[in-house]
Amino acid sequence: MSDSGLAIASNITLVLAIAAYGVAMVAYAFDLAARARRQAAAADAAPARAGTPALVGAAAGVAAAGELPGPSDGPGPGKPGTTITGSGGPAMPGGPAGPGGSVASAARTRWPASGWARAGFVLTCLGLASHVASITMRGIDEHRVPWGNMYEFIAAITCAAVLVLVLASARFGAYYLGLFVLLPVVLALAVDVMVIYTPAGNLVPALQSYWIAIHVTAMIVALGLYIFGAVVTVLYLLAARSERMAKAGGRPGGGIMAQLPGSQVLDRLSYRSVLFAFPAWTFAIIAGAIWADHAWGRYWGWDPKETWSFITWLVYAAYLHARATAGWRGHRAAVIHLAGFACLLFNVVVINLWVTGLHSYAGMH
Amino acid sequence: MTPGAAGRAAGTAARAGQLRLGPAGWLRWTWRQLTSMRTALVLLFLLALASIPGSILPQEGIDPAAVSQYYAQHPALAPFLARLSAFDVFGAPWFAAIYLLLFASLAGCVLPRAARFARSARQPPPRAPRHLDRLPQAARMATAAPPADAIEAARRVLARRRFRLRSADGWVSAEKGYLHEAGNLLFHLALLGLLASVALGGLFGYKGDRLLVAGQTYANTPTSMDVFRPGRLVTATDLQPFSVTLRRFSAGYVSSGPQRGEPAWFSASVSYTASYGGRPRGYDLRVNHPLNVDGVQVFLIGHGYAPVFKVTDGTGRVVFDQPVPFIPVEQSGLTSAGVVKVPDARPRQLGFAGVFLPTAVDVDGRLASAFPAPLLPRVSLVAYAGNLGLNGGQPQSVYSLSTSRMRRLPLRPVPLAPGQSIKLPDGLGRLTFVGYRQWASLAITYDPGQLPALASALTALAGLVLSFLVRRRRVFVRAAGDGSGQVTAVDVGGLTRSDAAGGFEAEFADLAGEIMRAIGGSTPAGPIAGEVAAVAAAKGE
Repeated sequence: MSDSGLAIASNITLVLAIAAYGVAMVAYAFDLAARARRQAAAADAAPARAGTPALVGAAAGVAAAGELPGPSDGPGPGKPGTTITGSGGPAMPGGPAGPGGSVASAARTRWPASGWARAGFVLTCLGLASHVASITMRGIDEHRVPWGNMYEFIAAITCAAVLVLVLASARFGAYYLGLFVLLPVVLALAVDVMVIYTPAGNLVPALQSYWIAIHVTAMIVALGLYIFGAVVTVLYLLAARSERMAKAGGRPGGGIMAQLPGSQVLDRLSYRSVLFAFPAWTFAIIAGAIWADHAWGRYWGWDPKETWSFITWLVYAAYLHARATAGWRGHRAAVIHLAGFACLLFNVVVINLWVTGLHSYAGMH
Repeated sequence: MTPGAAGRAAGTAARAGQLRLGPAGWLRWTWRQLTSMRTALVLLFLLALASIPGSILPQEGIDPAAVSQYYAQHPALAPFLARLSAFDVFGAPWFAAIYLLLFASLAGCVLPRAARFARSARQPPPRAPRHLDRLPQAARMATAAPPADAIEAARRVLARRRFRLRSADGWVSAEKGYLHEAGNLLFHLALLGLLASVALGGLFGYKGDRLLVAGQTYANTPTSMDVFRPGRLVTATDLQPFSVTLRRFSAGYVSSGPQRGEPAWFSASVSYTASYGGRPRGYDLRVNHPLNVDGVQVFLIGHGYAPVFKVTDGTGRVVFDQPVPFIPVEQSGLTSAGVVKVPDARPRQLGFAGVFLPTAVDVDGRLASAFPAPLLPRVSLVAYAGNLGLNGGQPQSVYSLSTSRMRRLPLRPVPLAPGQSIKLPDGLGRLTFVGYRQWASLAITYDPGQLPALASALTALAGLVLSFLVRRRRVFVRAAGDGSGQVTAVDVGGLTRSDAAGGFEAEFADLAGEIMRAIGGSTPAGPIAGEVAAVAAAKGE
């Protein structure tokens, strides 16, 4: 059975998506580099003027509310909470000009300021459209949900991760994340296309159930959020490290890493992603249990895949508790977060490909 | 003695006092440790760690054959691991110890919290603090309205936003978001419910397997199951009286392309009777489409071929005429292995071991099956005569032949087509491969904890979402005149204890703006430090 026209079109659009993501990464990298250059130039000019710290402080205040990152090595975040103008400066004074909710709506969408970031964002959106088209065509070609084997699954979770990136970029103005989230996405897709590729085909009988649309879709959504959260957590650890070094009196680092927002913003963003991912993951496990009950006669049987999704759940639950425990916030919680993600990766890669169990559907022999 | 030394001495005395904890004190101390968040964290990690061997080592409850294989491969290590319950991790005492401790910790933390929550839900919010500018969120504004009017206006704004209110002269306290804690408690209590449901299934549920050749009937009793795993409190009379007959089994396979030979669908046509003497009804049993009868679920979990043999012994009597289930040894061609035991044959008992090939092909002189569907079915057998050893008192598997007291008969290994026979040497008789039937294996499960478990899990999920979406926050407003009766300074302060993901800043700014409009405040809002000047300027006018 050779691939039909639709299946071939699906393959081509996926490659186009990878290309778009790759070019978007370059644009995002140029954006960060341009900002690093501007920052360096400003730093050269700064020592002469005494008024600069106030300006930097104002920028940091805006950054904490979700705007583009100010220089993270500014003199403290300037306690943004003490102003009620927070993110929507001009909303308050003119009573009639600022209708209720204006502050919130001001924070809703932000178009990137720099041309490079705009280019990166547009390319990411184009890549995402191509990615979605690829998955859709494959599904139409196969007359089923297009996540029935490892190849399709990786295409789907990377798509979910990019979707989360696009939403987060637009919602929080977090365009600085583009480069870092697209990097693992492009790598995973490259491996997917070159090594794991499986031609379009039927589902094995065990997967022929409407539960695949519920259980696996929920898993894909959770995984997309988890991937995003893990990338942000890595960035958090880097930002926190450079802040610690700056506090210890070291020279604040420059370059691309210095263009990240304050560690607090990153910490909150990664936490927020888990707040969405964890219920999605919980739902996916419950849906899986219902399906397992339908298919195998028990809702929980400690199959390797089930066991590792349980372990992942526990570690992410530990992360949520750690954030509420004195002495565990910050660095330690971030490490637990990454441990949870490592469990997730182990489950998706090692268990899918090398451990035999009831979930052996990877379609690779 | 210097004051410092006195302090140190007092500290030492206090520590010595602590060391002399009575039994009740120790108990309290242990309980406090157990129910601390830190312990819960450690137990969560321990449980995760403890689960890992269960996913790496073969488990008795999941794949007993793999455990036997592990014993064969690691004869020294396996008994040691078995002593640690490593082949039954999820039933091991140490595993149970961890999760029971975790649940005890959970209960010890959540139950008192639930009681506190129930009390606090009936109490009004606390009084407004005196210095609102010390709160994480604060704003100051000025208005010409008298303090009482300003407070009333702020009250209305907060009431419209469904805050719970408490006010007195010159201030109002507002609180909202009790559902955050409610959701949190609901989640944790539901986990206790989940544990109880699992226990319910473990005590009163049962499961079993049964292989059924087309035409055979299964009655739901312990003895008619091949494997029966009852819950701890299940007796034979607890089993629901129903029966299932396998009428026909069929399967479809992918016939071309890279997935050639992979199954496309399975279907077992069964008829079942819900209770003895009831009317039989038909059902199409498929994977993902179980049969539900009397609250018991019947699943299709496997399939294979059962060649039918007819054996005539040396005396000319037909001593065997029935299908024999053969077990698949590989999936791509469904080559199946099995044995035929003919204990009634005379003068010698007869035994046969061999393979069934659904689509027999010759690969370099070796027989193999090229496709799982029965396109060219053949049977290839080796024959033995002698003593089957069935009377030794040792139970024997129907799938293996003990040939220690048997002699292999010299026969040319020719694959048989349906209808063909082999004549055994020395006048021992004749075997005919009559044809084949298909068999299906059924899993029979009954779990009374199933629905409670589902309800608990969904409740937990709802609680989780609730606690993540809702934040508990307090907003305070204070208004005070400057004495002239012309300018009123209004302070708004806010704090949240559970703003997990942020967002309260924006809500507070929004709320402060609305309050300012409601009280007719016209001064631009800003940091309190700057605003004092603004109010002072207003006074000067």
